Amino acid sequence: MPESIEPRTIATRRGYADLTALLGAFCFFLSAVEYMVPKPLPFMRLGIANLPILLAVDLLPLPWFLALALVKVLGMSLVSGSLFSYIAVFSLTGTMTAALVMLGARAAFGTWVSAVGISVLGAVASNAVQVLIAGVFVFGDAARLIAPPFMAMGLVTGLLLGLFAQAFAAKSKWYAVARGELGKERRNRG
Amino acid sequence: MRVKPLDLIIILAAAAAVAFSAVVAYGRGSGALQVDISGADGEWIYPLSADREIRVAGPLGDTVVEIRGKSVRIADSPCPNKTCVAAGAISEPDQWIACLPNRVFVRIVGTGKEEKVDAGVY
Repeated sequence: MPESIEPRTIATRRGYADLTALLGAFCFFLSAVEYMVPKPLPFMRLGIANLPILLAVDLLPLPWFLALALVKVLGMSLVSGSLFSYIAVFSLTGTMTAALVMLGARAAFGTWVSAVGISVLGAVASNAVQVLIAGVFVFGDAARLIAPPFMAMGLVTGLLLGLFAQAFAAKSKWYAVARGELGKERRNRG
Repeated sequence: MRVKPLDLIIILAAAAAVAFSAVVAYGRGSGALQVDISGADGEWIYPLSADREIRVAGPLGDTVVEIRGKSVRIADSPCPNKTCVAAGAISEPDQWIACLPNRVFVRIVGTGKEEKVDAGVY
């Protein structure tokens, strides 16, 4: 091992890689679950595959966070069989928009905002961008009719996903360990 | 678990954005109800009152749109999930059915109310 690279840096990098891989696997699994749920209307999605990304907002630095978002897009596209179609572009732009908006909200508002607000912002922004793309590239002016139900769906699913993520983060020991809080507690007790 | 004041502001702002998009989307249109069909090759308008079957060409094949009994539905589609077919029939103004894979969008335009002239000139 070269002396210039500290062991701790390597350990941290490996930790991020392991965590990204684990959350990416969750994205694949939740994509499959999402695919099995019947959709009452075209475009309507529950967005449960975004849960690992929402949890990762407070866990991963930007490069690993974006890598996880790409893994989620790959998972969704592979499961739905749309990887090599232009529909994957909708998934890619929607997911990357949500990821960047969620990370931006955390950076801008810090602890003033919880997972609920971050999730709602990400979901509504993602759906708004997808409607915009549908208008520009596919449906033209008619896409404006899609916007209200699609964005309302984003608001509701984003709210529910945010509440679930917040409850999960409050109770999960794994999440606490991942954030290093358990380690801090032990040090404080010691 | 606690929702913070800023969360509530974000939720309210998102709800306002949804309401605004609804006003923009549904706040116009007049005249008899018509079926507006957008496909990869163009856009067509048919009266909702006359029964007919229309085949709309898309990148995956033909989508079959059926107007019957003052309602319209996608009767058949070459898309993999058939979500557009499962959406069923629509009959009210501004209702729509979309097939993203085959790039077909069906919507009902107009208000269904007869327009009356303000004044007659003889």
